[in-house]
Amino acid sequence: MRFVSFRLAPRVLATTALLLIAAVPSQAQTRAETLRYVTGASVNTLDPNIPGSTRESFALSMSTYDRLVAFGRKQLNGKWVFDLDKITGELAESYDVSPDGLKLTFRLRKDAKFQDGSPVTAEDVKWSLDRCVTAPILGKAQLLTGSLTSADQFKVIDPLTIEVTLPKPDKLALPNLATVYPMIINSKLAKQHATADDPWATAWLKENTAGSGAYVIETFKPGEQVIVKRNEAWNRGSPDKPAFFKRVIIQSVPEPATRANLVERGDADLVVDLQASDVQSLEAKGKLKVVSTPQYNSITFVSMNNQIPPFDNVNVRRAIAFALPYDDMFKAALFGRGAPLFGASWPDGKPLNGIYPFQQPVKLDLDKAREYLKAAGLPEGFSTTFSFNVGQASTAEPMAALVKESLGKIGIKVDIQKLPDAQMSTQINEKKLPFFTEGIVAWLPSTDYFYRNFYTGNQRWNYSSINNPDLAAVAQEARFEPDKAKYEEDGRKLNAMHADLMPQIMLWQPNQDAVMASSIEGYTYEFHRQVDYRDVSRK
Amino acid sequence: MMTGLGATLARAGRRLLSSLPALFGVLVFTFLLMRVLPGDPAVFFASGPNAGKEEIEQIRKQMGLDKSVPEQLVFYLSDIGHGNLGRSMMTGQPVLKDLRERLPASLELTFTALLIALIAAVPLGVLAALRPGSVVDHGVRLFCALGVCVPTFVSGLLLIYVFYYLLGLAPDPTGRIDVFTSLPPQRTGFLSIDFLLAGDIEGWWTACRQLILPAVSMALFVIAPLARITRASMLVSLGSDFVRTARSVGLSWRKVVVTYALRNAILPVITIAGIVFSTMLGANVLVEKVFSWPGVASYALDALLSSDYAPVQGFVLLMASLFVLVNLVVDICYGIADPRVSIG
Repeated sequence: MRFVSFRLAPRVLATTALLLIAAVPSQAQTRAETLRYVTGASVNTLDPNIPGSTRESFALSMSTYDRLVAFGRKQLNGKWVFDLDKITGELAESYDVSPDGLKLTFRLRKDAKFQDGSPVTAEDVKWSLDRCVTAPILGKAQLLTGSLTSADQFKVIDPLTIEVTLPKPDKLALPNLATVYPMIINSKLAKQHATADDPWATAWLKENTAGSGAYVIETFKPGEQVIVKRNEAWNRGSPDKPAFFKRVIIQSVPEPATRANLVERGDADLVVDLQASDVQSLEAKGKLKVVSTPQYNSITFVSMNNQIPPFDNVNVRRAIAFALPYDDMFKAALFGRGAPLFGASWPDGKPLNGIYPFQQPVKLDLDKAREYLKAAGLPEGFSTTFSFNVGQASTAEPMAALVKESLGKIGIKVDIQKLPDAQMSTQINEKKLPFFTEGIVAWLPSTDYFYRNFYTGNQRWNYSSINNPDLAAVAQEARFEPDKAKYEEDGRKLNAMHADLMPQIMLWQPNQDAVMASSIEGYTYEFHRQVDYRDVSRK
Repeated sequence: MMTGLGATLARAGRRLLSSLPALFGVLVFTFLLMRVLPGDPAVFFASGPNAGKEEIEQIRKQMGLDKSVPEQLVFYLSDIGHGNLGRSMMTGQPVLKDLRERLPASLELTFTALLIALIAAVPLGVLAALRPGSVVDHGVRLFCALGVCVPTFVSGLLLIYVFYYLLGLAPDPTGRIDVFTSLPPQRTGFLSIDFLLAGDIEGWWTACRQLILPAVSMALFVIAPLARITRASMLVSLGSDFVRTARSVGLSWRKVVVTYALRNAILPVITIAGIVFSTMLGANVLVEKVFSWPGVASYALDALLSSDYAPVQGFVLLMASLFVLVNLVVDICYGIADPRVSIG
């Protein structure tokens, strides 16, 4: 009687088990020649210039398009990182900088072809650079930082030579041409898809590629995965050789624990966005290769809005700087995986060099913090909120708790505020947050660039809203300073001002933890903080 | 018979029409809600390393946010009238296209999970009702309690850990299909059906294997309400006069329990199943995240976090329409289960 229902249950179980066991995975034979890269983010456009494009889109475009020039790489503490000072030709066979620094001449490779087989000409280069400075796209703001602002600056000399003229000898003009945005587009192809409303074919290029890069798009499913196959004719990496992997699969896997499982079981080859705790345990197991590079072009801050009381008082900011439990925060948030920017000792009270970011001469010293609070006229402390965004909760949450606890000891009452990402960026843009943690990144990490973009002007990236004319003037002067010694001197001046004014507190540079199968080689930390698929190969 | 069917269809049509005002309300409400929520999508999406005021304005214009709210609403409604749900900033695709691609994934997962849940829950409920207070009854209760207590993402992660990580039986939990398998020509969007239509049995296995773990972790969560409601209504119908009569005239056990008791007890189960299905569609976001399932719920959550208006509005509209449809289907199922009920 009752076995009727009893019979069903084992049947369901048996079927489930059968389904799980049956069918051995049908791996393609080309697995070794395929790179499977998993990420929590996703590619949302094939043209990185489109406003709103993601970092994964930047990385993909490095492989689907070429630029005139590319960054070289160097060893930093035994790890490969991009080298801002070594710029090599990519589509350019060679380039010259005129003695006065006002003219850059690029000679194109004769053998370079777009993916549709047509040759890369100076006309294409001009169209692409014109697009970058004229069209309403992201490249415009980037190239501005290298004094590249108008189409008149790009001149075709002959089909294989192009000349770039600068109004001032800007050191960042050449490196700017190696960044993500000024990619070289097949202008004949793109123009066919241009319309009167959209003369630069932005709508078409968002969904299609027209480049000469190392990889060709095979499938593009926004939010899910992108599969690219090798462009056999591409030889811009090493002479006469295309990129190593025949196929690259870029797959979105939102759950970090799943990404860790995938790479540990060998189903994925490479991942750069695991949680610090997972990285640590994978490293301890020793089966995989873990390359940890401090992201030396990015910084995590505790920021204070210098315009909102009480943070408009420099002594309050100094008090905070001496009341943060740096070591505990570093351990709790990052498991110590990064480069600290605190705890330096400046013997004569002066900066050790003119490089930004620098290690600040601050450490946890509650007595000193209390003194500064007294000097600020707030010996009893005050109340404030400390904000961070949900996207960074895994690092910011433990950090915020420690900040609250430690500041409580000197009478500062902190309410922790966790904001959705869009809300956080809106409030930062509107300069409404008094006290918060955020990070920055600079593609071209030079001292003056950092100070000009992150410490001047009433704009979003000036987190601390500092408005100091002296600092702005020195940073501006340093930008066009050709003499290295004087530039260094300017850098020291800026760093000294930073330490004195304490507009915001630099905490650390988090590590980029690239976890990969032990057979993967050549991983390089790139300026866009993603993987350049052309760098990697399999043993 | 013909008139019966015709009448049912006519009534169904009338019900659909009468739900239009509700849908319109949902539409306007979601639209306003999104604008009231703090967080400016333009600022969020202009987050390139150099994005300044100009870029923010640019995106604002692109999203139509430079106009006043009433104007935006008028444009939005006229777009909807033309079948245009707007464009997602996040994926860069039209929302309609995104939803069309993702909805089958969610539906396939939810249907499978519901099927598994029903196959497990109804016999469990019946079993518990046949022997109330016995070890079996308590066992079922414990199982149900556990299923509800463990959140779906925990059971999902646990299943992944055991079946994928430790045992290596399950395929990697990354979406609907192994990355190395080629997709069948798209007909229905349901991979398990498309593979069968294409005659690709191997592909069908691959798709089914990907489906099992997420479907089971979702099913575990909803077995409890279904089993409990089955048990309760079975108890009522087992204690009723007609079952006593059926027993007394010596009908077979099967006839008594399945034909008379269960058929009469199934109405509330269908109601709950309908509600459970609608909830699952929207609430399976955690399972979708854990298994990288490219469904609508995780899509909507990502959109909400980044204040991407169009996808959220599209998602809510889709869910509201589905809810109307599901209710309709449930009503029709009533008629089949119990001919005395007619929808009106």
